[in-house]
Amino acid sequence: MFNYRVLAVIKRELREKLFSKAFIILTLMIPGLIIVFGSVQALLYSTESKGLKFDFVVEDGSLLKNFQKEFSQQDFVTQKHYVFNYSTMTREDFKRYVQNKKQEIIDEKLTGIIFVPSSALKDKKIEYYAKTPQNISLSRELERPINKIFLNIFFKSKSLSTEDLDFARSGVDFTGFKVSKDEKIAQEGYGNIVLSYALSILLYISLLMIGQMAMQSVIEEKGSKIVEVILSSVSAKELMTGKILGSAITGVAQMAVWLGTILAVASSALIALPPEITMNIKPDLVIYVMLNFFIGLVLFVSLFSMMGAIFDNAQDAASGNMPIMMLIIIPFFIAMSMMENPNKPYIEIASLFPFASIIVMPARLALIDVPVWQQILAVFINLLTIYALFPVAGKIYRIGILRSGKKPKWSEVVKWLKYKY
Amino acid sequence: MYALEVKNLTKTFDKLVAVDNASFEVPEGSIFGLIGRNGAGKTTTIRMMMNIYLPDSGEVVLRGTKVGQDFKNQVGYLPEERGLYKKMKVLETLLYFAELKGKSGREIHKKAEEYLKRFDLYDRRLSKIEDLSKGNQQKLQFITTVLHEPEFIILDEPYSGLDPINTNLLREIIIEMKQKGKVIIFSTHLMDFAEKMCDHIVMIDHGKIILKGALKDIKSKYSQKNVSLTYDGDISFLASNPMVESIADYGNTTGIKLKDANQTQQLLRLLLDKNVTVKKFDANDISLQEIFIELAGHEDLGKNGKEVRNV
Repeated sequence: MFNYRVLAVIKRELREKLFSKAFIILTLMIPGLIIVFGSVQALLYSTESKGLKFDFVVEDGSLLKNFQKEFSQQDFVTQKHYVFNYSTMTREDFKRYVQNKKQEIIDEKLTGIIFVPSSALKDKKIEYYAKTPQNISLSRELERPINKIFLNIFFKSKSLSTEDLDFARSGVDFTGFKVSKDEKIAQEGYGNIVLSYALSILLYISLLMIGQMAMQSVIEEKGSKIVEVILSSVSAKELMTGKILGSAITGVAQMAVWLGTILAVASSALIALPPEITMNIKPDLVIYVMLNFFIGLVLFVSLFSMMGAIFDNAQDAASGNMPIMMLIIIPFFIAMSMMENPNKPYIEIASLFPFASIIVMPARLALIDVPVWQQILAVFINLLTIYALFPVAGKIYRIGILRSGKKPKWSEVVKWLKYKY
Repeated sequence: MYALEVKNLTKTFDKLVAVDNASFEVPEGSIFGLIGRNGAGKTTTIRMMMNIYLPDSGEVVLRGTKVGQDFKNQVGYLPEERGLYKKMKVLETLLYFAELKGKSGREIHKKAEEYLKRFDLYDRRLSKIEDLSKGNQQKLQFITTVLHEPEFIILDEPYSGLDPINTNLLREIIIEMKQKGKVIIFSTHLMDFAEKMCDHIVMIDHGKIILKGALKDIKSKYSQKNVSLTYDGDISFLASNPMVESIADYGNTTGIKLKDANQTQQLLRLLLDKNVTVKKFDANDISLQEIFIELAGHEDLGKNGKEVRNV
C-alpha cells in the first residue's frame, strides 16, 4: 500500500499545499488576524465613546458634589470618553430644559441628558434622555459609581462603619478552583476557557480549510482530465492514499504552527499575560490534540475527496458536501456551548462520537480532566470509522474520478458501490 | 510471439455492454491500431488493458503474465482526455510523472532537459504550465508519455485536438519508438491515419471485435473483391448478374464489388463478351475506410444508439 508512488504523490501534495505561498501566508495570518480583529474591536469601542457629551442633572443639589467627585475618578472621565456638564434643577424646570435641548440631542451635539430625581435615593431609579437611549456601555459604566453614591448616602444615616460599608458595596467575586487528581487544588482563571475556545476555533478553521483544499484538488484533477494520465502510473487507491496523507500532514503542520504560537505566548516571559488568562498547557495535551487531529483529517479528507470525485465542478460540490460540513459545524457549536458548563451530558457523548470528537474532545480536555480511557476510546472510535469508511469512499472515488458529464444522483452513487471496478 | 494478449475481455456498465468478449493479440514490435467509431468501446478496452478498469471477465496477458503494476511501469499512456497540473512548472511536471513510474535522479533529469531542448521548450522549463500555449502543452504531454522510456506506448485518439505541427511531431515520435523496437498501440476513428501508420489492426464495433489481423493481409483480402472500371458502352446487365454484389457509379469510373474475389477474370471476360470497351480494369487496393463501412457502416452512423460515453 505504501510505496514510492504514494510517496511521490505525498511529496507533490506537500509542495502544492504546505509549501505554497498562499497557504503559508494564510497560516501565519490567521493568528495575526484574530489578534488584529480583537484590537480593531477594542479600538472601535474606545474611539466610539470618545468625548461624548452628557448633561448630568440632579434634583437634589446636595448630591451634586458626590457625583462630581466619584465620576472624576472613573476611567471614562479621566480618559475623556465621556464629558459631563453638571447642573441642578427641579423636575418642573427639567421638563422645560429637555424641551429646550431637544434640537441639540437630535443634532447629536449633545449625546444625552441624565436626570437623578430626589426619589432615586429611595428607589434608585434615574432617567436617561437621548436619541438612542438603549446604550448598554453607558449604563454598564455608570451603574457602579452611581450605586456607590446611593449606598453611601443610604448607609450614612444608619451609622455603619466604613468597613461595613465597604463590604456592602463590594460585589461577589467568583473565584474558580479546579479540582483535579493533582494534590493541590489550583486556583483557575479564564485561561483554560480561552485555550478551549482557541482550540475549537483553530481545529474548526483548519478542518474546513484542509478539507476544502483537498476537495478542490480532486476536482481539479478530475476537471483537467489529468487523473487518467496519473492512473496509468498509480492505482486509484494509491493516489487517494497519497492525497489524504499529504493533506493530513499539511493540516497537522498548520496546527503545529498555531499551537506553537499559543504555547510560545503562554509560556513567554516577554509577553506577560494577565494572571486571569494564564494557560495551563501540558505537553501531553498538545501531543493528543495533534494525534487526534491527524486521525480526524484522514477521516474528513477521505470524505471530501470522495465528494470531489463525485462532482466535477466546485458549485455542485459545494451543495453536495453540506452533510460533511455539518459534521464539522455542529461539533464546533457543541464545543462552544461547553464554555458555559463543560459537564453537560451531551458533551461527554459528543467527545466520544466519531467525527465530533475531533473538535469536542480537545476543547473538553482543555477545560476539565477527561479520563484517559475516554481519550483513547475517542481515538479508537475514529480509527474504526476510518476502517469502515475508507473502502466505501475509495470505491466512490475510484469510480467518480473517471466520470464526467451530468451531475450524478445520490441513488446512482449508491449504485456505484455495486460496480466491479 | 505476442507482446500483449487480450483474452475474452467483457465490461458492462449498468445494462450497457461496453466491451463484449473481446480477444486480440498485439505482436512484438508492431504499431497496432484499435479502430472503431466514437463510443465503440476503444477507450474502455484500453482502460482495462491499463488496469484502470477491472474487467467483468477476461484478462490481459503481458508476455505470459497477467498485467498489473509491472505493466503500468512499462507503459507510456496518452489518454484521449489529457491534462496537466496548470500550476506546476514544466520541468517539475516531467520529473513528477517519471517519479510515478519509478524513475528519478540525475539521469532522468538530464533526459528531461534533452527532450525539452529537442522540442524547443528548454527556455520554458521553469514556466508554469498555465503560461504555455496549447501547442506547447501538447508537446509537454508527449514528453511525459515517453520520458521514462516505456516498452509500450498506448495512445488513445492521439490526433484529437492536435495542431498540424504537433501531429507531425507525434508521428515522428511513433516512428522513432518503432525503430527502437517498442510496441505502439493506438486507438483512432480516423481510418486514413490508421492506414498510414499501423501494421496490425483490430476493428471494434459496439464492443465486439469485427476484424483483426495484419493490415496487409486484411487489405489484400478485401481488395480482391473490388474492381474499379473505366469503360464505354452499356453495363446495365451487370446489375442482375449473380456474381456482382453491388455497383457504385462514381462518374468517370465505376466501382464493382464482387461476391467472390476469384471472379475478377470472369467479370473481365463477361465485359468483353458483351462488347463493352474496357479502358481500365483495376482489381485495386481498398481503403480501410471502405472496409470499415462495409463491415460496420450499414446502419446510420448518427443513430448508433447506446454508446459508452464518458465512463
